[in-house]
Amino acid sequence: MKRNWLRAILGGLSFGTMLFVFEACYGTPQDNAGFDVLVQGKVKSKATGQAIKGIKVSAVYSPQFQYTDDQGKFSFYVYTGGTFALKFQDTDSIQNGTYQSKDTTLYNARDTVFVDVALENN
Amino acid sequence: MIRYIKREIFRGFKKHETRVHPLNYLFWECTSRCNLNCLHCGSDCTKDSSYDDMPLADFLSALDTIPHTSERITVVLTGGEPLLRSDIEQCGMEIRKRGMHWSMVSNGYLYDEQKHIALLNAGMGALTFSLDGLEENHNWLRNAKNSFSKADRAIDLAVKSPRLNFDVVTCVNQRNLTELPAIYDYLIQKGVKAWRLFTIVPIGRARHNPDLFLADQQLKEVMDFIKTRRKLSLIDVKFSCEGFVGTYENQVRNGFFFCRAGINIGSILIDGSISACPNIDRSFAQGDIYHDNFFDTWQSKFKPFRDRGWTKTGQCKKCSDYNDCLGNGMHYWHGEKENVLVCHNEKIKCASKN
Ligand code: SF4
Ligand code: SF4
Repeated sequence: MKRNWLRAILGGLSFGTMLFVFEACYGTPQDNAGFDVLVQGKVKSKATGQAIKGIKVSAVYSPQFQYTDDQGKFSFYVYTGGTFALKFQDTDSIQNGTYQSKDTTLYNARDTVFVDVALENN
Repeated sequence: MIRYIKREIFRGFKKHETRVHPLNYLFWECTSRCNLNCLHCGSDCTKDSSYDDMPLADFLSALDTIPHTSERITVVLTGGEPLLRSDIEQCGMEIRKRGMHWSMVSNGYLYDEQKHIALLNAGMGALTFSLDGLEENHNWLRNAKNSFSKADRAIDLAVKSPRLNFDVVTCVNQRNLTELPAIYDYLIQKGVKAWRLFTIVPIGRARHNPDLFLADQQLKEVMDFIKTRRKLSLIDVKFSCEGFVGTYENQVRNGFFFCRAGINIGSILIDGSISACPNIDRSFAQGDIYHDNFFDTWQSKFKPFRDRGWTKTGQCKKCSDYNDCLGNGMHYWHGEKENVLVCHNEKIKCASKN
């Protein structure tokens, strides 16, 4: 506790970067800057309620994506400043049925978000 | 005057950090396998690929001894080459799920778009690639024909990610010294925001290759190069934490020299040893995760790291800068530890006299 006070005072005196940001020779910079959130969820068919495998779940404005597994599940960290959007796309043509794409915007997400999505058939 | 006040505050801060020793930075030497055969490898640590990769479960058991606190901890995956592990994303994900942050040091050779996305998905927050020159010199030091083009591709991917705290490290040697301005231009043109320069420790197989070491005057040239480029603020170029640089202190990096090994920096090495930076002599290990509780060891041991009085020997014994340097980076003490292997301060002083 005492230590955090000291850190706050020194940080306030503009010594923050000098004191707390460091990296070892053969190491990396610290992960000080990023805000991310773990997005987990499941994609199913609106018509049947069945899980859909192979749906591409993308983080909008980012190169990140993941495909849903056998149980329709996905789980990945997304960079966020509080708000972010996910896109759900059926990119494997007719392999697991054909579904319409869907966009979801999530607000003020912190730590972990659960997103369950039902896609309509084409 | 301001410099003097800053230095005094920093001295106090160092003492305080040493007493409290919060763990903020944990190396995990997750593999000793490597896909390259760099000329300077083995200069810093035992790269013995007879070790199997450490099972993730073993590492996590050690990690789980760390209590949840407000301290921000970055786990740095290192090797060998971490990308040779087929479960690297799972390793990262498990670390991140425990509320810790993670990063990776890589030679970039295997870093393609698919890997980039998979690692971001696993919550990677910082990344360092090595680049030891432009094409000819990088390929020479890395001992592989196309290693530059692979590193170049990897850098392109990393700079595009707003999530990553990304930098490039360059090991300065006789051959790339005159190329530093060209590397500087190349990195700026690539959009790289941060660049760290370091030198090679004269041990292991590197000891027999004089091309790898800088003469006194050359080290001073590196200091001048960094100092002048920092003023331009086009890229955050800095000297690594490796040593006390006398009159260049607070001008070639963000702050004064502070070897945080065993104070803020710990490690779990490939054989399970508990230590600090992987380039430190392995005889400094404080325990091992297969017999000792990792966090108890961090809290209660590490005396040689937190009380550097033993470095007051050899040329450090009567040094007037000892209080600011404390015997240089701990990775400069090997073997019998009778003298520091390199004194940057002395090299710079000698170069300034001539
Ligand atoms: S002699 Fe030792 S204590 Fe003095 S500057 Fe050199 S390495 Fe540091
Ligand atoms: S041991 Fe070396 S690399 Fe580690 S913190 Fe000290 S100076 Fe830096």
